[in-house]
Amino acid sequence: MSEATIRKVCVIGAGTMGAGIAAQVANAGVPVLLLDIVRDPANRNAVAEGAVAKMLKTDPAPFMSKAAAKLVETGNIEDHLARVAECDWIVEAIIERLDLKQQLYAKLEEVRTPGTAVSSNTSTIPLDHLVEGRSDAFKRDFLITHFFNPPRYMRLLEIVAGPASDAALVDRIADFADRRMGKTIVRAKDTPGFIANRVGTFWIQVGLNAAFDLGMTVEEADAIAGKPMGVPKTGIFGLVDLVGIDLMPHLQKSLTSTLPADDRYQQIARSFPLIETMIADGYTGRKGKGGFYRINRAENKRKEAIDLATGEYRPQAKAPELRGPAARGDLAALIATPGKAGEYAWAILGETLAYAASLVPEAADDIVAVDVAMKLGYNWKYGPFELIDRIGAAKLAERLAAEGRPVPAILTLAGDRSFYRVEGGRRQYLGLDGAYHDVPQAEGVLLLEDVKRNSEPVLRNASAALWDIGDGVACLEFTSKMNALDGEIMKLIGQAVLLVQQRFKALVVYNEGSNFSAGANLGLAMFAVNIAAWGEIEKLVAGGQLAYKTLKYAPFPVVSAPAGMALGGGCEILLHSDAVQAHAESYIGLVECGVGLIPGWGGCGEMLHRWQSNPKFPKGPMPAAAKVFEIVSTATVSKSAAEAREYGFLRAEDGITMNRDRLLADAKAKALSLVDGYRAPEQPTFRLPGAAGRAGMKLAVESFHKRGMATDYDMVVSDTLAEVLTGGDADLVDTVTEGDLLALERKAFMARVRDKRTQARVDHMLSTGKPLRN
Amino acid sequence: MQVYDAPLRDMRFVLNELHQDDGFGDLPALAEFTPDLTDAVLEEAARFAREVLLPINRSGDEEGCHIDNGVVRTPAGFREAYSAFREGGWTALAADPEWGGQGLPETVNKLVEEMICGANISFGLYPGLTHGATTAIESHAADELKQAYLPKMVSGEWTGTMCLTEAHCGTDLGLLRTKAVPQADGSYRITGSKIFISAGDHDLTENIIHLVLARLPDAPRGVKGISLFLVPKYLPRADGTPGQANGVSCANIEHKMGLKASATCQMNFEDSTGWLVGAPNKGMEAMFTMMNTERVSVGVQGLGVGEAAYQAAVWYARERIQGRSLSGPKRPDLAADPIIVHPDVRRMLMTMRAYNEGCRAVGNWVSRAIDAERHSEDAEVRQHAADFVALMTPVVKALFTDYGFETANLAVQTYGGHGYIRESGVEQYARDARITMIYEGTNGIQALDLVGRKLPANMGRLLRTFFHPVSAFIEENGGEGPLKRMVEGLQQAFGALQLSTAKIAEKGMKDPEEAAAAATDYLRLLGLVAMGYCFAKAAKIAAAKLAEGGNDAAFYQAKIATAAFFFDRILPQTSACFLAIKAGKKSMMGLDEAAF
Repeated sequence: MSEATIRKVCVIGAGTMGAGIAAQVANAGVPVLLLDIVRDPANRNAVAEGAVAKMLKTDPAPFMSKAAAKLVETGNIEDHLARVAECDWIVEAIIERLDLKQQLYAKLEEVRTPGTAVSSNTSTIPLDHLVEGRSDAFKRDFLITHFFNPPRYMRLLEIVAGPASDAALVDRIADFADRRMGKTIVRAKDTPGFIANRVGTFWIQVGLNAAFDLGMTVEEADAIAGKPMGVPKTGIFGLVDLVGIDLMPHLQKSLTSTLPADDRYQQIARSFPLIETMIADGYTGRKGKGGFYRINRAENKRKEAIDLATGEYRPQAKAPELRGPAARGDLAALIATPGKAGEYAWAILGETLAYAASLVPEAADDIVAVDVAMKLGYNWKYGPFELIDRIGAAKLAERLAAEGRPVPAILTLAGDRSFYRVEGGRRQYLGLDGAYHDVPQAEGVLLLEDVKRNSEPVLRNASAALWDIGDGVACLEFTSKMNALDGEIMKLIGQAVLLVQQRFKALVVYNEGSNFSAGANLGLAMFAVNIAAWGEIEKLVAGGQLAYKTLKYAPFPVVSAPAGMALGGGCEILLHSDAVQAHAESYIGLVECGVGLIPGWGGCGEMLHRWQSNPKFPKGPMPAAAKVFEIVSTATVSKSAAEAREYGFLRAEDGITMNRDRLLADAKAKALSLVDGYRAPEQPTFRLPGAAGRAGMKLAVESFHKRGMATDYDMVVSDTLAEVLTGGDADLVDTVTEGDLLALERKAFMARVRDKRTQARVDHMLSTGKPLRN
Repeated sequence: MQVYDAPLRDMRFVLNELHQDDGFGDLPALAEFTPDLTDAVLEEAARFAREVLLPINRSGDEEGCHIDNGVVRTPAGFREAYSAFREGGWTALAADPEWGGQGLPETVNKLVEEMICGANISFGLYPGLTHGATTAIESHAADELKQAYLPKMVSGEWTGTMCLTEAHCGTDLGLLRTKAVPQADGSYRITGSKIFISAGDHDLTENIIHLVLARLPDAPRGVKGISLFLVPKYLPRADGTPGQANGVSCANIEHKMGLKASATCQMNFEDSTGWLVGAPNKGMEAMFTMMNTERVSVGVQGLGVGEAAYQAAVWYARERIQGRSLSGPKRPDLAADPIIVHPDVRRMLMTMRAYNEGCRAVGNWVSRAIDAERHSEDAEVRQHAADFVALMTPVVKALFTDYGFETANLAVQTYGGHGYIRESGVEQYARDARITMIYEGTNGIQALDLVGRKLPANMGRLLRTFFHPVSAFIEENGGEGPLKRMVEGLQQAFGALQLSTAKIAEKGMKDPEEAAAAATDYLRLLGLVAMGYCFAKAAKIAAAKLAEGGNDAAFYQAKIATAAFFFDRILPQTSACFLAIKAGKKSMMGLDEAAF
């Protein structure tokens, strides 16, 4: 694979973006050289070093593991620039000044190895200006790679190639960014702001303009631009607070200075005295003293919003709620709503969608590029053309025309048609040739969404489904709300195991929800608790244990492929799989203790087994039990798949996929690789420390309790966990079976779930989403 | 014949013996109300009910209220009885001492309410509504309003009303039209007509304080645009005496099936001056504060009438001789045996008795929670108690009034043809009890409140307050003796309740009509399990007391006998409820509307 040719990367410029890009390269397991200027003669690498140090403290963390951080080598431009010769890709991420960038490139030309890629992370400067004065060889190797902040978490990468760029080299970088850095690539043209910032800045501007012009409060405005429009939930003022109000004038300035005079943006770009004052006074949003919203700590953490007319903060007021279809995402109804709400919605959507439509083919080759850019770069739930489809292209064109505004050519081209359609199970988009084409997909990508469009499930019930994903592999999908685990899922697992033996070679457990599964359906379980249906709860626990063990001992390989949160029962299913192929952004943990419970679906035994059979870990009954106790009693959650390995939630041989869209294909490949000669695992047996071990664990928690780090009830919960992990009444000489541990788990789980203090914790979690420290 | 002697022994039992382990803990704030003190209160109330209120019950029914030139007159004797009631301090019994009340526990107060309603439910409406209005003012009004009105309402010098219903809106208050226009001085001008206003006008007191739901000029539509106003009949002068008339008038009084001594008025407000109670457009919240406490009180009204009907039936069954006992003559000295010897008469009497004792026990459990919600020093206990009260309020209201009416009906049946004759006095109970199933939210609405709001709230958190003690009791009392069979019966009924609850939660989430179709049967099922739990506990306590010896054996033996009857003959109703719930809405909603 071509990506393998990138063995080392140099990032020049250790600001937020440069450092973040370096971290993501390191997250891919590739060494990085991070350079910046010399500011302190005594410590010439101080700038880059400081950037790495800062990243180690940043939350959410730019690095996925400590090992990744070690892959970043720091240096400075004056002493170490020559070392770019070692690197296969040089990323420039210095300040947005053409003269400085050009000077740097001139120096780079002298030291770099020809044929290796050089890219700029500029967001504003056209490519042809950047390479002015450079050699043909440099121009051949040059491209723009525009990352979004923060580079680890934002999936969009805009790539701009120049007329002289070597297509193979650009593909190589794109491939590396896709497979190794996990980015979705959008190819943009060399136009100001590229795609996402061009549409995004325009959208924010019209949103601000309309709110001021219509005399709306920030809450009223966000109540419309937020949830009903769905792009994104924060609304516009909320978003600007998040990204920083001071960024707005910069983006505005760069666009007004580079866009042609007749571009619509030139007419709408405005500055507001209130916003200028806010920036000058340090009210730059969440990172500053406050923004359009703030939490007033002096007033008992009162939520406040700024009055757009006076600039004074006042208590936040709930905006009147929309009703009817407009509130439920019917955009046509929303823009037709009488009064300010409808006017505001139309002001934003009419302008923004028309503008976005006018950018194909000027800034992007097709509509898909624009939609993907906005969804992944600005967290819009729908892209502009998907939004147009929800209004109706013809309706939008009609209203624009009726108001005497220009109708973009592509809207006319669409006529009565929609921009997207599903034809023969394939999602298609409307091309500039007026015909529909399949939505392009990077090579090797397999999405369950596509499988589902093309086929019927092999099995299905209210909470799960089984799909045929080809080549003899079945895919078990959770379909319950939030992928919460319940009795139905356990039932389907049992059925799936029988069916897969007959008709398939292997099983993948995977879904495309934003989280793999945050565990059991607590609300449902709590309802059973509330009506004292203890027998039902015990059945639910035993049923889950049985389903997971059935999966574990099934006569075919099972590969689980989590992305996002895999907590509680969602983690336990990974522990019972033959292998895991995890998305890099997987947050894995056994969090039951947080709500006063203990893992009840076999998680205790599986974790003990992992640590007992870890060759690098001390032998004997106590060390493994103590390690698992430490991890589980504190409800530890890994902040990445890489970190999950440190806790034993993943094994060294489990795979990590950087690109979310490639996860299913990788998991499937992994499952198929296990088919030949597959034998189900043997049942482990355990030697556990018994009462003495339990007493030791209690002592450890007591010391936390004394320091105020563990609550009274934490002591009780962790002792229950200790009882299971040490084998209950077992003695050092006894052999404890898996079945014994499961019985202990059930007993311990029931003891805790019947406790009022556990019930109080679950109540609190269900009503606030936060743990109760009782 | 109407006879009424408050069932003091059973009242003391539910108050001092039955619920000592209810989990609400000690309430130091109420420690001064020792059994000696509360006994004295109960005895005095019983005397008042028997001597003052009972004698004017039937005469009040016969005479009814009258309206002459816009002035409402209560029946003969009511003015005197009310004066005696007020002077005896009964209006202030449960009120906050801050406003001149005696701060008596709700556990005692509800028993007193039962006595008042047992002796004379029509009379009970006048102070009862005042109590509700007082609660709303206390919880939501501004301080000046509280200062100006609460002391006189607590002392009973003034009475209060709740003005909700209009001609076109009863259950659906979102439709109401009465207007409130703000004035420069902070007051409002209220204009509109209200109907079915109990105690809307009368001659018992010099002033009447109305709480009126109305709409502000810019109010949102529906129930979110309703505000609550305090509107006195006469505007008080600076010295607190009633002054100028305030445009409040009674246009007419209703001619009703029963409850005839209680004036049910059509009220007109014409530019009447009023003051906002609570926040603008938050009237429903303020109203619900009052309504929730009132709903428990209406349940107790049902129980009160039921007890009176039972006593009248027992009196008659002993008095009336007819036929001979099937097991041989019991009173050979008489021409026939008293009808109390006949099994079917026993069936009726035992049923009435079991309903009354079961409801009284459940009612006191809920009253304890009301006290704990107000007075516990532990926030968790307060929340727990509030959850329990919220869950049980619709059950108390609907179950007690359904059974109150059924009991009155059985009393009529016990009397045979004489029961249908006015002079017997028992048909009045049936007519009087009938309204309790309707007002303060019909019993159908109570059932909807239970399944639609209370059951699903916070993933069933409210249910915990009831299901856990019952479950624990069953687990701990599998034992031997007569209790064994009771606990087995309770366990079976409880299982049906658990299953029904889970099914309703599951089906109701997908189809609210399914939950609504199950609502009435579900409320009955839950209520019966609550009664069963209380009877099993009572039997256990009674058995222990009998084993100890003592001179109260007759009471405890009767308690066990009544409990046994309940488990044999009444708890099986739960099976029917369960089957009906399981059947779902299909056959209920299947018939085409045009076919009706």
